[in-house]
Amino acid sequence: MSGSAVAFMIVVCTFVWGGFVLLLVRAIRSERRKSRND
Amino acid sequence: MLATLGMAVGTGNIWRFPRIVASNGGGSFLVAWATFLLLWSVPLMIVEFSFGKRARKGTVGAFSLLAGRKSAWLGGWVAFCAAAIMFYYSVVAGWCLRYLGAAVVGQLRGSESDAFWAGFAGSGSAWLTHAVALSLAIGVVWFGVQGIERVAKVLIPTLFVLVVILAIRAVTLPGAVAGLEFLFKPDWAALGDVRIWLQALTQNAWDTGAGWGLILTYAIYMKSKEDVPLNAFLIGFGNNSVSLLAGIMVLCTVFAINPGAKSEIVGAGNEGLTFIWMPQLFDQMPGGQVFMVFFFLALSFAALTSLISMVELVARILMDAGLGRRQAVSIVGLVGLALGTPSALSLAFLHNQDWVWGVGLMLSGLFYALGARKFGVEKLRREVVNGEGCDLPIGRWWTFLVAVVVPIEAVILMIWWLWEARGWNPESWLNPFLPESVGTVIVQWTVALVALLALQRWLGRRPVAEEGGLDP
Repeated sequence: MSGSAVAFMIVVCTFVWGGFVLLLVRAIRSERRKSRND
Repeated sequence: MLATLGMAVGTGNIWRFPRIVASNGGGSFLVAWATFLLLWSVPLMIVEFSFGKRARKGTVGAFSLLAGRKSAWLGGWVAFCAAAIMFYYSVVAGWCLRYLGAAVVGQLRGSESDAFWAGFAGSGSAWLTHAVALSLAIGVVWFGVQGIERVAKVLIPTLFVLVVILAIRAVTLPGAVAGLEFLFKPDWAALGDVRIWLQALTQNAWDTGAGWGLILTYAIYMKSKEDVPLNAFLIGFGNNSVSLLAGIMVLCTVFAINPGAKSEIVGAGNEGLTFIWMPQLFDQMPGGQVFMVFFFLALSFAALTSLISMVELVARILMDAGLGRRQAVSIVGLVGLALGTPSALSLAFLHNQDWVWGVGLMLSGLFYALGARKFGVEKLRREVVNGEGCDLPIGRWWTFLVAVVVPIEAVILMIWWLWEARGWNPESWLNPFLPESVGTVIVQWTVALVALLALQRWLGRRPVAEEGGLDP
């Protein structure tokens, strides 16, 4: 696999999957906060 | 949270993404696709959520209430486009059901899956499974969704986990690296091709549901304390995450099993990509038969839950126009059965419809942006998006994206596409009878737009129900 393909794979996967994980963590925290307030 | 994850998985990710990325240059397509996640899908999903949450009406009623009665036809286009996709989507859902049955009785053994697909797609059996899938969706919308919701909450996250396991297995197959190279090798020169940008926008809208009207319809039933922006971001990134996994899963399998497959998987005729190659991946795994049953069971559920949302969307428009729920659902069922028949019996027709109405989502997105502009994008941001229940307040950048960037993207892409298309096939680019020509798009869009404009006064004048929410 060429170096450019590896680099590009790392950038795309980090952006898409990393973004999803960060948002999921944020959403879980918000849900917990809302449940406590309820 | 599970419901949000559930929305992240569907046949758009597992059936459509791998074949579109295969046909559009792999790496260069991913650049355009990821760009449109941020500059198209997420901003429009926020518009859809806020329209539904504010108006508590289907697409026609929401546009009529928020953008003015003269804009009702814009909502009509969104619903028409979603309905046109529904007609062939029920065919794809039927394929999933047929493959579930075949997996259970052991008809899908390794390389035989190619012959199975060839014998099934476009046959009378495919029409039968289309009818079964549509009947199941109609039944659920007719009788209520309580039981299905509970099952879907288990099966759709199961599909998510299965896709992760299968992607890992596919990557570890000997020769799979060629699939990764194909998927991730960037070809910067290819970014000058308008078709890649057009397909990337269409696929991102397919992945996330941006511009379909499904999110708007879902938001009708949202509680006021539920958040808009975080949900939109989560669904957008979640969907694209699953698509990327599905692309890795399918393309690594294809290249590992048949290194010379590139010419077979590119272009028209690759509608069966996932259905042909996934059974061959299961063949390479211990316990593959069991995994295959679970995979097609979960995929069938993902397809059915999406189909149910589409039936609900179209039925909701009829209900807003004064019909009872059962009357509306019956009409949607009968029309869907009839207008889905050509796609069930002809892959070329299905390909044509996927092309015409997939690109139609770009027009839907443009119409959402225009509708938001008429209501006031900044007003929408302050009063609804950042209003009650907001977990992730968004800034004025969103106002700029919706009011300026989204319309410019749509107009530039449209002009660029028409300009370039003349040179591809000078003799036939306007031929309306070719499955993927400009002519077929123009003719079908024109028929739909003329019909909607003729109905504009009726659409804008129809009394809409006072209260949102499910009818008893």
